Amino acid sequence: MADPLPAGAAPDPAPRRDPEPLLVIERVTKRYPNGTVALQDVSMTALPGELTVVLGHNGSGKSTLVRCVVRLVDVTAGSIRIAGRDLVALSGAGLRRARADVAVIFQSASLVPRRSALANAATGCLGRARGLRTALGGFPAPELASARSSLERVGMAALAGQRADTLSGGQAQRVAVARALHQRPRVLLADEPVASLDPDAAADIMQLLRDLASTEGIAVVCVLHQLDLARRFADRIVGMRGGGVILDAPAARVGLEELAALYRAED
Amino acid sequence: MDAAVTVPAPWLRIWRAHGPRSLVGLICAAVLVQAYVVIDARPGDILTGVAGIADIVRRGVPPDPAVLGPALYQSLVTIDVAIIGTALAIAFSLLLAFWAAENVTPGGPMYAFSRSVIAVFRAIPDIVWALLFVTAVGLGPFAATMGLAVHSIGVLGRLYAEAIEDVDMASINALVVTGAGRVQVATHAVLPATMPTLIGLTLYRLDTNVRSSLVLGFVGGGGLGFAIENALNLFQYQRLLALLIVMALLIAGVEAVAVALRRTIH
Repeated sequence: MADPLPAGAAPDPAPRRDPEPLLVIERVTKRYPNGTVALQDVSMTALPGELTVVLGHNGSGKSTLVRCVVRLVDVTAGSIRIAGRDLVALSGAGLRRARADVAVIFQSASLVPRRSALANAATGCLGRARGLRTALGGFPAPELASARSSLERVGMAALAGQRADTLSGGQAQRVAVARALHQRPRVLLADEPVASLDPDAAADIMQLLRDLASTEGIAVVCVLHQLDLARRFADRIVGMRGGGVILDAPAARVGLEELAALYRAED
Repeated sequence: MDAAVTVPAPWLRIWRAHGPRSLVGLICAAVLVQAYVVIDARPGDILTGVAGIADIVRRGVPPDPAVLGPALYQSLVTIDVAIIGTALAIAFSLLLAFWAAENVTPGGPMYAFSRSVIAVFRAIPDIVWALLFVTAVGLGPFAATMGLAVHSIGVLGRLYAEAIEDVDMASINALVVTGAGRVQVATHAVLPATMPTLIGLTLYRLDTNVRSSLVLGFVGGGGLGFAIENALNLFQYQRLLALLIVMALLIAGVEAVAVALRRTIH
């Protein structure tokens, strides 16, 4: 169904999406002060409605890339544009506004432990809902209502009032997805979102991300280790090794052999 | 490599085996001896002086029940000095703690400022702060309150900052990347995660402050401490004994309440 080709590369049978990429990573390099090069000249794009899976060894630079996009880590060179805005050049209030367009799901659900599932989902609005109410730890009523529907969307409405530290791993990660959804992002980054989940819960979360891309037109970029999940859910597969991109192709055209090669021991 | 072949001299072997440890032992002993001499310790006087203590207690029996009425009010003053002193400290030390905690500090001058304020306020004892405030506002509970407040800002600021530094960075980062501002991260992630710890630390401080408030009473801070000081100066031993009983009950009561409250929040 999804068309993984870049705009103009091939005739599109059903041009129902905005072909402009929402996330453009251009020649990004990250060199740490100790000389380690985590990313070397990395370029990739993510289209709206598309689920891109990034594969690669531990230490291949996948997580660093995610952290660079949201500026938890500063890049050494290159540019990162979200919906046309260059994040690398921003700071302060401008950076906060730009961050609101990008939601992130981490390997651990990273919920605030002593708050309810609903309150955790609602924190997705903090980038846009500024003012005394949110500064004092509360939420505007419409945001709470919308957070509740985000929880419904991930099948967690029944546990809305439950404290986050009492949820199971899969439930907590669903709440993290709800928080990301409630942020109403243009781009959704997921850094090994299913690494600590059992296979069923993992497939559920991947299905959720897949659906969010299709129905909300979000550009989803998901770092994974599971080749089977990648083949099952991805529109496009990006393979990384040694801080560089060595594979970038529509999932349908990537063979098992190519995938396995990504994980073969480096020589 | 050569050293492994040549056998060290006997004195060197003995020094290596026992020297450093014996030296530390000698230094410790020297420190203790000089301290014992300097404090002018006369253990014999305790034995001969026991009669003096017993005499005061004997003269205090029966304790004077007439002081109970005023003592209740004086106890209230002592507790209230601690309550206001602690309450004033909470607001300021929370703000300082957010600037001073390594993981959420805005850094730069705010970090340096908060760290220095916390260090200075904590290093100077509450009794010294109280005496300073006496020169500004005169003797009485208000000076004692301000002394407690300033010292408590330092103590709580440091304890709060340590509690904040223990918060899981993952939940903080998760909010930062939603575009949340510094204050929002504080109220939506840091405070909810640390609240039980912060309340526990505050209750412990309140408990300590009630005892400090008693001591500050001795130097003119009012309340029960001041009444005890007066009874002692006027040789009114029956009043003194009654007041000491009230004091013991007050301290035990406050501690019991603090322990019970701490238990309910955990």
